[in-house]
Amino acid sequence: MEQERKEEILSAIHHCVKCKLCSISSFHPAAEWLPLCPSGQFYGYQAFYAPGRMEIFREILDGEITEPSEGLLKSAYACTLCGACYERCKQITSMELRLPELFEEMRAELVKKGWALDIHKNIADKIKETRNAYGEKYEYEAKSTDGNADVLYYIGCTARYRVPEIADAMLQIFDKLGIKYQVMDEEWCCGSVLLRTGQVEAAKELMEHNIEEIKRSGAKTVVFTCPGCLMTFERNYPDMGVELLHSTQFLTRLGSMKVKKLGLEVAYHDPCHLGRDLGIYDEPRAVLNTVTDIKEMKREREEAWCCGSGGGVKSAYDEFALWSAEERLKEAKEAGAEALVSACPFCKRNLKEAADKEGKGTEVYDIVELVNRSLEG
Amino acid sequence: MTQSLSKFVKELQTIVGEENATDDQAICASYSRDQHWHFVPAKNPAYIVRPANKEEVRRVLTFANNENIPVVPYSTGINVRGLTIPVHERSILLDLSRMNRIVEINPEMKTATVEPGVTFGMLLEETKKYKLRPAFPDAPLTVSVLANYYLRGIYQTSAVDGHDHTLSYEMVLPNGETIKTGSRSLSEMPYFRYGVGPDFTGVFCAHPGTCGVVTELTAKLYRLYDNRKEYFVGFEDAGTPRKIIYNLMHDELAASIRLVDNQSWLKGICGTFDYPYEKLPKFVLCVLVEGVDGIFEAKDKLVQEYITESGGTVLEFPEEFKRTFEEESLGGAEKSCMVFGLRGNYHCIGLYGPLTLAAKYYEVHEKTALEVGIPHDHIHFYINPIYSFHGQLCYFELDIFYDGGDLDSARSCGITMRSNSIGCWIWVFTAGSDLTRG
Repeated sequence: MEQERKEEILSAIHHCVKCKLCSISSFHPAAEWLPLCPSGQFYGYQAFYAPGRMEIFREILDGEITEPSEGLLKSAYACTLCGACYERCKQITSMELRLPELFEEMRAELVKKGWALDIHKNIADKIKETRNAYGEKYEYEAKSTDGNADVLYYIGCTARYRVPEIADAMLQIFDKLGIKYQVMDEEWCCGSVLLRTGQVEAAKELMEHNIEEIKRSGAKTVVFTCPGCLMTFERNYPDMGVELLHSTQFLTRLGSMKVKKLGLEVAYHDPCHLGRDLGIYDEPRAVLNTVTDIKEMKREREEAWCCGSGGGVKSAYDEFALWSAEERLKEAKEAGAEALVSACPFCKRNLKEAADKEGKGTEVYDIVELVNRSLEG
Repeated sequence: MTQSLSKFVKELQTIVGEENATDDQAICASYSRDQHWHFVPAKNPAYIVRPANKEEVRRVLTFANNENIPVVPYSTGINVRGLTIPVHERSILLDLSRMNRIVEINPEMKTATVEPGVTFGMLLEETKKYKLRPAFPDAPLTVSVLANYYLRGIYQTSAVDGHDHTLSYEMVLPNGETIKTGSRSLSEMPYFRYGVGPDFTGVFCAHPGTCGVVTELTAKLYRLYDNRKEYFVGFEDAGTPRKIIYNLMHDELAASIRLVDNQSWLKGICGTFDYPYEKLPKFVLCVLVEGVDGIFEAKDKLVQEYITESGGTVLEFPEEFKRTFEEESLGGAEKSCMVFGLRGNYHCIGLYGPLTLAAKYYEVHEKTALEVGIPHDHIHFYINPIYSFHGQLCYFELDIFYDGGDLDSARSCGITMRSNSIGCWIWVFTAGSDLTRG
């Protein structure tokens, strides 16, 4: 790491006063103690809260930690990078460095030292071989309706290979609304999982390919159902001169759709990348409100509890990921919701798995599934 | 990957479970510093142990005693001044955060009995159901109730609550024996401070974990009132508001009285950085009145009369500022921590002194800080009067907010504080002890 960057990071770490208000949601005015840090809450040691994790990063940068202990790897990687700690910290201390980025850089340092998790290295290997994060060798069936369409739908690995009902729904919405679209002939993984797990170099080839493909398509707008992909394009890709929109932003912009209310009372789960990373809170609610009745949960928007699957946690620490999802499902039930709705394939996958494991019948959807169901067409 | 478990860790794991004891360097590193790392150097504990109950605490202490291993108790880990940073090699850090049960809230006795991992936020969530509250320190509501009160519950945000909130506790000694103080020593009733003979509760208080480990503590609770009103009065100097503060204290009229300068704690009291504080008078007196019907109105009338004759300017603040002041004073400090956002770090002398010396304290603080090169806009102070001390005793805080990433700035801060501790009349508590370690 360059000296200047190291000093910037150390300065940010030195400014942490260890108040740990980052571990709970805003206490006033409701005076309710609501934990906000899934990793700290699950593992308990200080090393799993942001202040402790920063101290570990400090010792790495200062050369005091010279070996990859089990605790080091778990502290570094059993964090969903949800950013809830940062949202709280910036309200109070105007902290200058975003904590999820700080922890990503911590992982990048570990990778440089050869201390990546084997399971994350395996994902990189699969991507290298198949160009998708799941190592699947088949193609999700989707065809452009117009090779010159202004709209390109970037599907993403999870919607293509693990929760295809989301991709199906989005494509059907386009069809029902009579919107011409393109899909990429060769859509490669956006690189999010590699970047989030510190494997920065491995992501470069993917990014170059996707940039080239999108430029070649001539599309003016790229639509994403996956906030992880969208965030990666927004933050890690260079400006391609195209508009990048989440599905809910795209649908909101269309104005009124001919939809009918589904008679469902649902809670909306803010995906971390969509909400805290990109600040998109209103559009998903606006779209969802047209087809369901929304019940408010206690932790929402900037202070939403993470579903537990991001940042490479789902692949490496599934027990922790599912526990976080169970906590969210409980909160939805307490709010009186029949179903929990998100706007992210990765959230849906983890929440659904937890709901199925629990077996108490909470339904989990993505917004586009409900919109598709309620659209006349 | 390093995986060598020492025989000590194996022994500790048999007591608290495999998941709850470790000598992993990274995990230990996460406990190595607190906010005052410029003055108390970082040091990793050798072991972290997380007991779930007092029997596990007893067994860990007995083991450590037999093996001659130092033990540093740690409740929720929100510390300043290095209180949980080990001094000795091969120390056990006893992380008590798993012990977070509220054992009892007794609305008749107006008491709460808690374990070390219970925070002020957790406690208020329960006590408010009975229209009761704990006495709050001006520390984040993530801090431990037990540890704060055991350390005497200093610098509270309410003028009425006084100083000693502890009634009784149970402490495990290094040899595994348990001391029960106050009425606990005679019965299962923990509600009275004094038992037979000397006041053992007081004897051990304010030893930060050096005598034993307190596993359960019973503390006083205070009433929450529905009637509340807030006033903000501006002054250009720290001496003029002395008379109104004296009057409010003498007549016991206000639940909270806080004199702050317009550039530091006021931002937390109001809950935002985004306000033209620099246009306000240099000092702002924040007053909160509360009480039952009839008494509330009578108190409020007198408070208004005192404000009128105070020579200060009544400031019209937005309603949300008033709400935040209420919450921060009588509901636990959250936004007050915004002072950390001023420059990143702070150091202070916290002291109890008479109100009559308020202007003198500020003058000495400002002078010594300027002399060693602290910029003027880094120098702050506040007063929290506490009238149940009798007379005019107040909690004073002489603060410097500095950039923790700038070591020169931190060094100057340390010199200022050392000079101050000579120049001021320190009654109870100074920052001097940790400075000698830095």
